[in-house]
Amino acid sequence: MVDKNNLLEGLVYNYTSATEPPTRDVRIEPTNAFLGSCDSLRRAMGKGCAKYNSRYFSQGVGCQLTLALGIVRTFQNVVTIIHGPLGCGSNNIGLAGFNKTARALKGKPANDVIWIHTNLDESDVINGGVVKLRNAVLYAEKEYRPDVIVVGNSCVPGIIGDDIDAVLEELEPQVAAKLVPVHCEGFRSRFVASGYDSAYHGLLKKLVEPPIRIESVLVGNSAEEERLEKIKRQNSRTVNLLNVGSTSYGDEVELSRILSALGLKVNVLPLYGHIDEIAKMGEAGLNVSICATHDDYLIGHLKERFGTPYVIDTLPIGIKNTNQWLRVIGETMGLVEETEKLIELETSQLLEAVEPFKPILSGKTIWVGGGETRIFTTAEFFQSLGMKVLGLKPHNFDRFAVPMLDDIEDPETAVAVAAGQPAEELVYLKRLKPDLYVGHGGSNGWVVRLGIPTIPLYGQSQNYMGYSGAFELARKAARALLNTNLSKKIVANVPLPFKQEWFDSNPQDNIKESPQEEPPVRSSVQ
Amino acid sequence: MENSFIERAKSSCALGGAIATISSLPRSIPIVHASGGCAQTLSATYNLGSGYKGPGYCSGTMTPTSNITENNIVFGGEERLEEQIEATLRVMEGDLYFVVTGCQVEIIGDNAALVTSRFKDRPKPVLYASAPGFLGDGFKGYEAVLSSLVKDFIAPSTKKDNKTVNILGFMPGQDVFYRGNIQNLIFLLNKLDLKVNSFFGDGETIEKIKNYGQAAYNLVFSPIHGQQTAQAFEETHDIPTLTVDLPIGDTGSEAFLRQIAEPLNLPKAKVEAVIAEEKAIYYSYFQRFLEITGDLDYQRYAVVSSDINYAFPLIQYVSEDLGWIPHLVVVNEEPDDEESSAQYVKKFETLTAKARPKIVFEANTGQLLRHVRESWPYNHNDKYYNQLAPLFVIASSLDGSAAQKLGANYLPVSYPVTNRAVLTKGYAGYRGGLNLAEDLYSSLVSNR
Repeated sequence: MVDKNNLLEGLVYNYTSATEPPTRDVRIEPTNAFLGSCDSLRRAMGKGCAKYNSRYFSQGVGCQLTLALGIVRTFQNVVTIIHGPLGCGSNNIGLAGFNKTARALKGKPANDVIWIHTNLDESDVINGGVVKLRNAVLYAEKEYRPDVIVVGNSCVPGIIGDDIDAVLEELEPQVAAKLVPVHCEGFRSRFVASGYDSAYHGLLKKLVEPPIRIESVLVGNSAEEERLEKIKRQNSRTVNLLNVGSTSYGDEVELSRILSALGLKVNVLPLYGHIDEIAKMGEAGLNVSICATHDDYLIGHLKERFGTPYVIDTLPIGIKNTNQWLRVIGETMGLVEETEKLIELETSQLLEAVEPFKPILSGKTIWVGGGETRIFTTAEFFQSLGMKVLGLKPHNFDRFAVPMLDDIEDPETAVAVAAGQPAEELVYLKRLKPDLYVGHGGSNGWVVRLGIPTIPLYGQSQNYMGYSGAFELARKAARALLNTNLSKKIVANVPLPFKQEWFDSNPQDNIKESPQEEPPVRSSVQ
Repeated sequence: MENSFIERAKSSCALGGAIATISSLPRSIPIVHASGGCAQTLSATYNLGSGYKGPGYCSGTMTPTSNITENNIVFGGEERLEEQIEATLRVMEGDLYFVVTGCQVEIIGDNAALVTSRFKDRPKPVLYASAPGFLGDGFKGYEAVLSSLVKDFIAPSTKKDNKTVNILGFMPGQDVFYRGNIQNLIFLLNKLDLKVNSFFGDGETIEKIKNYGQAAYNLVFSPIHGQQTAQAFEETHDIPTLTVDLPIGDTGSEAFLRQIAEPLNLPKAKVEAVIAEEKAIYYSYFQRFLEITGDLDYQRYAVVSSDINYAFPLIQYVSEDLGWIPHLVVVNEEPDDEESSAQYVKKFETLTAKARPKIVFEANTGQLLRHVRESWPYNHNDKYYNQLAPLFVIASSLDGSAAQKLGANYLPVSYPVTNRAVLTKGYAGYRGGLNLAEDLYSSLVSNR
């Protein structure tokens, strides 16, 4: 088991000499196919046998390219090129308007999201598509004068062997934009979160500059120099608050408010960031993660290369976890006393504020599905308001969430680890009938068909994080329970596409348990 | 249009089109043989981008998929596909199961047709279509799926029903208003005692689709899309095809009804009676706007940027019915051969306004602004400048900021539409023309 206080133990991060980092399959060995309880999951993770499990009946698990694009397309003055057929990342279409509005909300220039498909066709599959890629880069440069052009590589060039790094190197002297290759071919990883690593790999390799001051420290390595470096970082008082696709502007404002109250200067990035801000990421005194699933590669790399300390052990949702998150920051920055004062004040005010919602929520049951760290902290918060957690469905499960299993009161609480896979989750929900479902995008619409009211796990225009986020979350859940008519109408009238036999079956029988611990084949197909 | 990169393509790939099509067929289950992300990503393209049509009966995160990984790329994915089909038949309730393939498995050469054929004796049909993304845009998948249905599922019938037509060209999702358009056309054609087979209309079932071979005619509402399926109908079921424009409003609908009257042997008097009746109703509504049109001078210069199905019908509607100035038409796709392109451009000669629109084929979304600017003389700081205003842009949601930069009113109609929520609305027919008038005028009065 991994040390709770050193979640990155044994992991290495500096892969800048490679075109791409190892996928999560081999790097942190998560599982996305395990159905059991908090207790049995903890035991399975301990033995490490869950990681090669798969399924007989499966549904979409997501594509790492879409997650990588979700990061890079938000940068300011960026053009994203998708080297592939028209479908790869075409969900950009549904999100472009939202991203543009988010830019405006965050006070950034509200420009259109611009992307280009190299539009690989049948003949490109045979002859390669690098000419189209070259033309696309030059078009992007000429039409938009971007600060940065990011190229996301898809399955087709990954299989046929287009060398996008070579193309970009050749073009570098011809264009003003920085060129960033991102290797995020969907077939390469069973874990979509590998896409975050791919995007950050490109960012770390091409955009982030080494902080100048680090040189003198790295020459020697004495304890005294390390101590001085620590003091220097604490004195800098600057922290990077690492945002993710699901953090709202409200979340960023609230978390910045809390950190500012400790006298810290907060850079919110890398999403929606400007290239100059991203370039200076290495200068901050502390990297503050708000989701380990997103950030471990980024902060691990910054720690390994520049020595920047980090906070990654929780995310600030609910009272307990916001306090815990804040305490680690306070300790690292030498602000223990100030932090405790702030926590005391904020906690007492918040507890008073959520009091009116407790009678509505207390005794009610809940199921939470989505990203691992987010769902455990969300569930813990509702538990603290007197609700009973019936189960959780993390998209994947890895070392970063293991300590969070302890936060769920009943060790027999159901845990269904599954990326997507609404079929399995819906069997659980039909049997357990929670009073409220809190779910990731793409799942709430199915759950309501069971007659269960839902609220979204995250919302880009709503506040979920920090103290004000906890209040909003309690308020939202209580509101949802004030009128559940929609779910009643829907269950009576809109069918789910399942056979009754499926609902009668044991979803655990759908998991193909890995008989041995040998890793799957990993070779490049060129 | 040479095959090149595309800036902000207004479509997904063939597999995306296939999934959108299958999931819009009644109680049908797509089985996607591809990497784990294709089904979800491609579904989302249409589920969000098409007026929030959602995943329907079974797409989006619900889509069964083989989720092939690097292992399968090396060793082949046929076994995994067979396992996934078997499991899907056990888990998912449907009247039709449809295997479609993505790029990865097509490149490595999986024989998905063979694997699918092992399921032909199951109680419910299991069909297959090859739809890898590299075939092209979403329409390619729409054609692949419907052509498979026509060839491999629809029952041959020597007996034809002269009063039944198949309608084609409306791709679910890619036509944001496909359900409304289909219903509006059914409404109109029912008035002529015609029965309409539409694949996606209200009350369709897989059982009914099986009998589409009895139709007497295919009506294709697009110069290019639906043609491959129509050809499959011709070859397999001996059903002839008539290509028509999407009729919008008075002029379009009247032309449409007259065009089909003779080939379909419709009684002339009946056709004239329907035209007269619908026209009367149309103008009894439309006349409501006459006061505001006149008092506030609501004649506009019109720019249309849309797919090929909508381009001519939209400019025809604003030019012939509303009396606007048809200024520029940017068609976001182009037929494969020059002759078809030339034929399409020729359609615009039927417009009767003195002003003639400029027609451009352009797939890159960012070029709309350039085409508008090139269509009109610059203001060289003249004291008196004849401006391209007041201007109305009818396009997609991706063209909103171009419209804003032009100071134009704007209505997104062509895919994608993300700033409107769409259920029953359609623009086809006389009633559809009234819907379009409502939406255009709503934009004009929205600040009052």
